Amino acid sequence: MFLEWGSILGLAGCGLWIFLKLPIETSQGFPQKIMYLHVPTFIATYLAFFVVFAFSIAYLWKRDLMFDQIAKVSAEVGLIFCALLLVTGAIWGRPTWGTYWVWDARLTTTLLLFLIFMGYFLLRMSVNDRDKEARLASVLGIIGCLDIPIIHKSVEWWRTLHQPSTLFKVESGKASPSISPELFTPLIASIIVMLLFYLYLLLLRYQTEKRREQLNQLLAETQV
Amino acid sequence: MKTRTKFVIGGAVILAVIVALSLQELQKMTVFFYTPAEVLASPAEFEDKTIRIGALVQQGSVDWNAQAIQLSFKITEDGEKSIPVYYEGVKPDLFREGQGVVVEGKMNGPRFEASQLLVKHSEEYTVETEHKKSKEEYYKSILAQ
Repeated sequence: MFLEWGSILGLAGCGLWIFLKLPIETSQGFPQKIMYLHVPTFIATYLAFFVVFAFSIAYLWKRDLMFDQIAKVSAEVGLIFCALLLVTGAIWGRPTWGTYWVWDARLTTTLLLFLIFMGYFLLRMSVNDRDKEARLASVLGIIGCLDIPIIHKSVEWWRTLHQPSTLFKVESGKASPSISPELFTPLIASIIVMLLFYLYLLLLRYQTEKRREQLNQLLAETQV
Repeated sequence: MKTRTKFVIGGAVILAVIVALSLQELQKMTVFFYTPAEVLASPAEFEDKTIRIGALVQQGSVDWNAQAIQLSFKITEDGEKSIPVYYEGVKPDLFREGQGVVVEGKMNGPRFEASQLLVKHSEEYTVETEHKKSKEEYYKSILAQ
Protein backbone atom coordinates (compact mmCIF):
# COMPACT_ATOMS: atom_id res chain seq x y z
CA MET A 1 0.00 0.00 0.00
CA PHE A 2 2.74 2.47 0.97
CA LEU A 3 4.88 1.28 -1.92
CA GLU A 4 2.01 1.56 -4.38
CA TRP A 5 0.98 5.14 -3.58
CA GLY A 6 4.44 6.23 -2.50
CA SER A 7 6.03 5.27 -5.81
CA ILE A 8 3.17 6.49 -8.03
CA LEU A 9 2.85 9.85 -6.26
CA GLY A 10 6.64 10.07 -6.13
CA LEU A 11 6.93 9.57 -9.88
CA ALA A 12 4.26 12.21 -10.49
CA GLY A 13 5.95 14.58 -8.03
CA CYS A 14 9.34 14.12 -9.69
CA GLY A 15 7.71 14.80 -13.05
CA LEU A 16 6.27 18.10 -11.84
CA TRP A 17 9.55 19.05 -10.19
CA ILE A 18 11.54 18.30 -13.34
CA PHE A 19 9.30 20.14 -15.77
CA LEU A 20 8.26 23.12 -13.66
CA LYS A 21 11.16 23.86 -11.35
CA LEU A 22 14.42 22.69 -12.93
CA PRO A 23 16.64 25.02 -14.94
CA ILE A 24 17.40 24.16 -18.57
CA GLU A 25 20.66 22.30 -19.09
CA THR A 26 23.29 24.35 -20.95
CA SER A 27 24.48 22.21 -23.84
CA GLN A 28 21.47 19.99 -24.61
CA GLY A 29 18.58 22.19 -23.54
CA PHE A 30 15.15 20.63 -23.12
CA PRO A 31 15.94 17.03 -24.25
CA GLN A 32 18.19 16.57 -21.19
CA LYS A 33 15.01 16.11 -19.09
CA ILE A 34 14.52 12.57 -20.36
CA MET A 35 17.60 11.73 -18.29
CA TYR A 36 15.26 11.66 -15.27
CA LEU A 37 13.52 8.63 -16.77
CA HIS A 38 16.46 7.04 -18.56
CA VAL A 39 18.93 6.95 -15.64
CA PRO A 40 16.46 5.66 -12.97
CA THR A 41 15.29 3.03 -15.48
CA PHE A 42 18.80 1.70 -16.02
CA ILE A 43 19.44 1.55 -12.27
CA ALA A 44 16.14 -0.34 -11.80
CA THR A 45 17.17 -2.69 -14.65
CA TYR A 46 20.54 -3.34 -12.98
CA LEU A 47 18.85 -4.02 -9.63
CA ALA A 48 16.17 -6.27 -11.15
CA PHE A 49 18.75 -8.46 -12.87
CA PHE A 50 21.00 -8.47 -9.82
CA VAL A 51 18.03 -9.93 -7.91
CA VAL A 52 17.62 -12.52 -10.71
CA PHE A 53 21.32 -13.38 -10.39
CA ALA A 54 21.27 -13.68 -6.59
CA PHE A 55 18.04 -15.71 -6.38
CA SER A 56 19.06 -18.01 -9.26
CA ILE A 57 22.20 -18.90 -7.32
CA ALA A 58 20.12 -19.29 -4.15
CA TYR A 59 17.77 -21.67 -5.97
CA LEU A 60 20.58 -23.84 -7.34
CA TRP A 61 22.07 -23.99 -3.87
CA LYS A 62 18.96 -24.57 -1.71
CA ARG A 63 16.55 -25.97 -4.34
CA ASP A 64 13.69 -23.97 -2.84
CA LEU A 65 11.09 -23.06 -5.49
CA MET A 66 10.33 -19.80 -3.66
CA PHE A 67 13.77 -18.49 -4.73
CA ASP A 68 13.06 -19.42 -8.33
CA GLN A 69 9.72 -17.65 -8.15
CA ILE A 70 11.42 -14.43 -6.98
CA ALA A 71 14.05 -14.70 -9.75
CA LYS A 72 11.25 -15.20 -12.30
CA VAL A 73 9.13 -12.21 -11.28
CA SER A 74 12.21 -9.99 -10.97
CA ALA A 75 13.21 -10.98 -14.51
CA GLU A 76 9.71 -10.07 -15.71
CA VAL A 77 9.88 -6.62 -14.13
CA GLY A 78 13.49 -6.24 -15.28
CA LEU A 79 12.49 -7.00 -18.85
CA ILE A 80 9.89 -4.21 -18.73
CA PHE A 81 12.47 -1.78 -17.33
CA CYS A 82 14.97 -2.89 -19.98
CA ALA A 83 12.40 -2.18 -22.72
CA LEU A 84 11.73 1.24 -21.17
CA LEU A 85 15.47 1.83 -21.05
CA LEU A 86 15.83 1.13 -24.78
CA VAL A 87 12.80 3.28 -25.64
CA THR A 88 13.79 6.29 -23.48
CA GLY A 89 17.32 6.00 -24.86
CA ALA A 90 16.01 6.10 -28.43
CA ILE A 91 13.81 9.12 -27.65
CA TRP A 92 16.79 10.89 -26.07
CA GLY A 93 19.12 9.89 -28.91
CA ARG A 94 17.02 11.42 -31.69
CA PRO A 95 17.33 15.11 -30.68
CA THR A 96 20.85 14.86 -29.24
CA TRP A 97 22.81 12.33 -31.33
CA GLY A 98 20.65 12.68 -34.41
CA THR A 99 19.55 9.04 -34.50
CA TYR A 100 17.24 6.69 -32.62
CA TRP A 101 19.62 3.78 -32.80
CA VAL A 102 23.24 2.89 -33.60
CA TRP A 103 24.97 -0.46 -33.27
CA ASP A 104 27.59 0.70 -30.81
CA ALA A 105 28.76 -1.50 -27.94
CA ARG A 106 26.56 0.08 -25.24
CA LEU A 107 23.32 -0.16 -27.20
CA THR A 108 24.06 -3.57 -28.66
CA THR A 109 24.90 -5.17 -25.30
CA THR A 110 21.73 -3.65 -23.79
CA LEU A 111 19.62 -5.10 -26.60
CA LEU A 112 21.41 -8.40 -26.00
CA LEU A 113 20.25 -8.37 -22.35
CA PHE A 114 16.69 -7.83 -23.53
CA LEU A 115 16.91 -10.71 -26.02
CA ILE A 116 18.54 -13.08 -23.52
CA PHE A 117 15.65 -12.59 -21.12
CA MET A 118 13.08 -12.95 -23.89
CA GLY A 119 14.74 -16.34 -24.46
CA TYR A 120 14.63 -16.95 -20.70
CA PHE A 121 10.82 -16.81 -20.72
CA LEU A 122 10.59 -18.92 -23.87
CA LEU A 123 12.71 -21.52 -22.08
CA ARG A 124 10.43 -21.39 -19.03
CA MET A 125 7.34 -21.82 -21.19
CA SER A 126 8.80 -24.76 -23.10
CA VAL A 127 9.49 -26.92 -20.01
CA ASN A 128 6.57 -28.63 -18.29
CA ASP A 129 8.35 -30.06 -15.25
CA ARG A 130 8.42 -27.29 -12.59
CA ASP A 131 11.75 -28.37 -11.03
CA LYS A 132 13.46 -28.79 -14.37
CA GLU A 133 12.13 -25.39 -15.47
CA ALA A 134 13.58 -23.77 -12.34
CA ARG A 135 16.95 -25.50 -12.79
CA LEU A 136 17.40 -24.56 -16.46
CA ALA A 137 16.09 -21.02 -15.97
CA SER A 138 18.47 -20.43 -13.04
CA VAL A 139 21.47 -21.38 -15.16
CA LEU A 140 20.36 -19.15 -18.05
CA GLY A 141 19.50 -16.38 -15.57
CA ILE A 142 22.99 -16.44 -14.06
CA ILE A 143 24.69 -16.43 -17.48
CA GLY A 144 22.36 -13.69 -18.78
CA CYS A 145 23.11 -11.40 -15.84
CA LEU A 146 26.82 -11.51 -16.65
CA ASP A 147 25.88 -9.09 -19.45
CA ILE A 148 25.20 -6.35 -16.84
CA PRO A 149 28.87 -5.63 -15.99
CA ILE A 150 29.66 -5.77 -19.74
CA ILE A 151 26.94 -3.17 -20.43
CA HIS A 152 28.21 -1.02 -17.60
CA LYS A 153 31.85 -1.13 -18.71
CA SER A 154 31.17 -1.05 -22.48
CA VAL A 155 31.61 2.73 -22.68
CA GLU A 156 35.08 2.42 -21.15
CA TRP A 157 36.27 -0.70 -22.94
CA TRP A 158 35.23 0.24 -26.46
CA ARG A 159 34.70 3.31 -28.60
CA THR A 160 31.01 4.08 -28.48
CA LEU A 161 28.63 6.85 -29.49
CA HIS A 162 27.10 6.65 -26.02
CA GLN A 163 28.83 8.96 -23.56
CA PRO A 164 30.61 7.56 -20.48
CA SER A 165 28.85 7.35 -17.12
CA THR A 166 27.89 10.64 -15.45
CA LEU A 167 26.63 9.22 -12.18
CA PHE A 168 29.42 6.71 -11.51
CA LYS A 169 32.21 8.91 -12.79
CA VAL A 170 35.44 8.49 -10.86
CA GLU A 171 38.17 11.09 -10.97
CA SER A 172 41.54 10.32 -9.38
CA GLY A 173 40.01 7.57 -7.23
CA LYS A 174 37.11 9.71 -6.01
CA ALA A 175 33.48 9.51 -7.05
CA SER A 176 32.60 12.77 -8.78
CA PRO A 177 29.38 12.80 -10.77
CA SER A 178 29.72 15.35 -13.57
CA ILE A 179 26.38 17.07 -13.14
CA SER A 180 25.59 20.35 -11.45
CA PRO A 181 23.85 20.10 -8.04
CA GLU A 182 20.53 21.64 -9.21
CA LEU A 183 20.19 18.83 -11.74
CA PHE A 184 21.69 16.14 -9.50
CA THR A 185 19.29 16.26 -6.50
CA PRO A 186 16.14 15.53 -8.54
CA LEU A 187 18.03 12.76 -10.34
CA ILE A 188 18.73 11.03 -7.01
CA ALA A 189 15.08 11.53 -5.99
CA SER A 190 13.89 10.01 -9.30
CA ILE A 191 16.19 7.03 -8.81
CA ILE A 192 14.87 6.35 -5.29
CA VAL A 193 11.27 6.64 -6.45
CA MET A 194 11.92 4.36 -9.44
CA LEU A 195 13.48 1.74 -7.17
CA LEU A 196 10.40 1.89 -4.92
CA PHE A 197 8.28 1.40 -8.03
CA TYR A 198 10.39 -1.64 -8.96
CA LEU A 199 9.89 -3.06 -5.46
CA TYR A 200 6.14 -2.46 -5.71
CA LEU A 201 5.91 -4.25 -9.06
CA LEU A 202 8.09 -7.11 -7.79
CA LEU A 203 5.93 -7.74 -4.70
CA LEU A 204 2.72 -7.37 -6.71
CA ARG A 205 3.85 -9.99 -9.23
CA TYR A 206 5.13 -12.29 -6.48
CA GLN A 207 1.77 -12.17 -4.67
CA THR A 208 -0.28 -12.78 -7.81
CA GLU A 209 1.93 -15.74 -8.72
CA LYS A 210 1.53 -17.16 -5.21
CA ARG A 211 -2.25 -16.78 -5.35
CA ARG A 212 -2.36 -18.39 -8.78
CA GLU A 213 -0.54 -21.39 -7.41
CA GLN A 214 -2.95 -21.60 -4.48
CA LEU A 215 -5.88 -21.39 -6.87
CA ASN A 216 -4.44 -24.14 -9.07
CA GLN A 217 -3.99 -26.30 -5.98
CA LEU A 218 -7.59 -25.74 -4.89
CA LEU A 219 -8.85 -26.54 -8.38
CA ALA A 220 -6.81 -29.73 -8.47
CA GLU A 221 -8.27 -30.77 -5.09
CA THR A 222 -11.88 -30.18 -6.14
CA GLN A 223 -11.37 -32.20 -9.31
CA VAL A 224 -10.17 -35.17 -7.28
CA MET B 1 34.86 -44.46 -26.89
CA LYS B 2 31.47 -43.83 -25.33
CA THR B 3 28.88 -41.84 -27.27
CA ARG B 4 28.68 -39.37 -24.41
CA THR B 5 32.42 -38.62 -24.57
CA LYS B 6 32.17 -38.11 -28.34
CA PHE B 7 29.33 -35.62 -27.77
CA VAL B 8 31.34 -33.73 -25.17
CA ILE B 9 34.44 -33.51 -27.42
CA GLY B 10 32.37 -32.56 -30.48
CA GLY B 11 30.46 -29.97 -28.48
CA ALA B 12 33.67 -28.47 -27.07
CA VAL B 13 35.19 -28.16 -30.57
CA ILE B 14 32.07 -26.47 -31.97
CA LEU B 15 31.91 -24.13 -28.96
CA ALA B 16 35.59 -23.21 -29.34
CA VAL B 17 35.11 -22.37 -33.03
CA ILE B 18 32.03 -20.25 -32.28
CA VAL B 19 33.83 -18.36 -29.50
CA ALA B 20 36.92 -17.77 -31.69
CA LEU B 21 34.85 -16.51 -34.63
CA SER B 22 32.66 -14.25 -32.52
CA LEU B 23 35.67 -12.78 -30.72
CA GLN B 24 37.21 -11.97 -34.09
CA GLU B 25 33.99 -10.32 -35.29
CA LEU B 26 33.54 -8.53 -31.98
CA GLN B 27 36.98 -7.00 -32.33
CA LYS B 28 35.88 -5.41 -35.62
CA MET B 29 32.41 -4.46 -34.41
CA THR B 30 33.56 -2.77 -31.25
CA VAL B 31 35.54 -0.22 -33.26
CA PHE B 32 32.48 1.96 -33.71
CA PHE B 33 34.58 4.71 -35.27
CA TYR B 34 38.17 5.41 -36.32
CA THR B 35 40.12 8.49 -35.31
CA PRO B 36 41.39 11.02 -37.89
CA ALA B 37 44.98 9.99 -37.08
CA GLU B 38 44.22 6.34 -37.89
CA VAL B 39 42.58 7.27 -41.20
CA LEU B 40 45.36 9.68 -42.21
CA ALA B 41 48.06 7.16 -41.29
CA SER B 42 46.90 4.58 -43.84
CA PRO B 43 44.72 6.22 -46.52
CA ALA B 44 44.92 3.22 -48.87
CA GLU B 45 43.22 0.97 -46.35
CA PHE B 46 40.16 3.22 -46.06
CA GLU B 47 39.78 4.11 -49.76
CA ASP B 48 36.25 3.42 -51.11
CA LYS B 49 35.13 1.91 -47.85
CA THR B 50 32.18 3.17 -45.82
CA ILE B 51 33.63 4.06 -42.43
CA ARG B 52 32.87 6.14 -39.37
CA ILE B 53 35.27 8.73 -38.01
CA GLY B 54 34.88 10.20 -34.55
CA ALA B 55 36.53 13.49 -33.54
CA LEU B 56 35.88 17.09 -32.51
CA VAL B 57 34.66 19.85 -34.80
CA GLN B 58 37.63 22.17 -35.34
CA GLN B 59 37.25 25.75 -34.11
CA GLY B 60 36.50 28.21 -36.90
CA SER B 61 36.10 25.56 -39.61
CA VAL B 62 32.31 25.40 -39.88
CA ASP B 63 30.69 26.61 -43.10
CA TRP B 64 26.91 26.14 -43.05
CA ASN B 65 24.87 27.00 -46.09
CA ALA B 66 21.28 27.03 -44.85
CA GLN B 67 19.80 27.66 -48.33
CA ALA B 68 21.47 24.68 -49.99
CA ILE B 69 21.53 22.61 -46.75
CA GLN B 70 25.27 22.00 -47.17
CA LEU B 71 27.63 21.74 -44.27
CA SER B 72 31.42 21.71 -44.45
CA PHE B 73 33.72 21.56 -41.48
CA LYS B 74 36.98 20.00 -40.32
CA ILE B 75 37.32 17.30 -37.70
CA THR B 76 40.35 16.89 -35.50
CA GLU B 77 41.51 15.26 -32.30
CA ASP B 78 44.44 17.44 -31.36
CA GLY B 79 43.91 20.56 -33.47
CA GLU B 80 46.90 19.64 -35.65
CA LYS B 81 45.84 16.83 -37.98
CA SER B 82 42.40 17.38 -39.42
CA ILE B 83 40.12 15.96 -42.12
CA PRO B 84 37.72 18.19 -44.09
CA VAL B 85 34.16 16.85 -44.05
CA TYR B 86 31.32 17.61 -46.43
CA TYR B 87 27.74 16.79 -45.45
CA GLU B 88 24.47 17.45 -47.22
CA GLY B 89 21.60 17.53 -44.80
CA VAL B 90 20.11 19.25 -41.80
CA LYS B 91 22.55 20.48 -39.18
CA PRO B 92 21.88 18.71 -35.84
CA ASP B 93 20.78 20.94 -32.94
CA LEU B 94 23.82 20.16 -30.83
CA PHE B 95 26.31 20.66 -33.68
CA ARG B 96 28.79 23.38 -32.81
CA GLU B 97 32.51 24.09 -32.84
CA GLY B 98 34.45 21.95 -30.39
CA GLN B 99 31.62 19.39 -30.19
CA GLY B 100 32.34 15.67 -30.55
CA VAL B 101 30.89 14.18 -33.74
CA VAL B 102 30.83 10.82 -35.50
CA VAL B 103 30.55 11.00 -39.29
CA GLU B 104 29.72 8.04 -41.52
CA GLY B 105 30.68 8.04 -45.17
CA LYS B 106 33.60 7.63 -47.58
CA MET B 107 36.91 9.34 -48.20
CA ASN B 108 36.92 11.08 -51.58
CA GLY B 109 40.48 12.19 -52.15
CA PRO B 110 41.48 14.27 -49.13
CA ARG B 111 37.83 15.08 -48.30
CA PHE B 112 35.42 12.92 -46.31
CA GLU B 113 31.91 12.83 -47.76
CA ALA B 114 29.51 12.05 -44.96
CA SER B 115 26.14 10.44 -45.44
CA GLN B 116 25.33 10.60 -41.74
CA LEU B 117 26.33 13.11 -39.09
CA LEU B 118 25.94 12.10 -35.44
CA VAL B 119 26.72 14.20 -32.38
CA LYS B 120 28.67 12.54 -29.59
CA HIS B 121 27.80 14.68 -26.58
CA SER B 122 29.72 14.65 -23.32
CA GLU B 123 28.64 13.19 -19.99
CA GLU B 124 28.75 16.60 -18.31
CA TYR B 125 25.57 18.43 -17.41
CA THR B 126 25.72 22.04 -16.32
CA VAL B 127 23.45 24.98 -15.71
CA GLU B 128 24.40 28.53 -16.55
CA THR B 129 23.04 31.37 -14.48
CA GLU B 130 21.71 33.09 -17.58
CA HIS B 131 19.83 29.96 -18.51
CA LYS B 132 18.11 29.91 -15.15
CA LYS B 133 16.75 33.40 -15.68
CA SER B 134 15.65 32.74 -19.22
CA LYS B 135 13.74 29.55 -18.52
CA GLU B 136 10.36 31.19 -19.22
CA GLU B 137 11.68 32.61 -22.47
CA TYR B 138 13.06 29.20 -23.37
CA TYR B 139 9.63 27.59 -23.01
CA LYS B 140 8.07 30.46 -24.97
CA SER B 141 10.57 30.00 -27.79
CA ILE B 142 9.70 26.29 -27.98
CA LEU B 143 5.98 27.05 -28.13
CA ALA B 144 6.57 29.69 -30.79
CA GLN B 145 8.34 27.24 -33.09
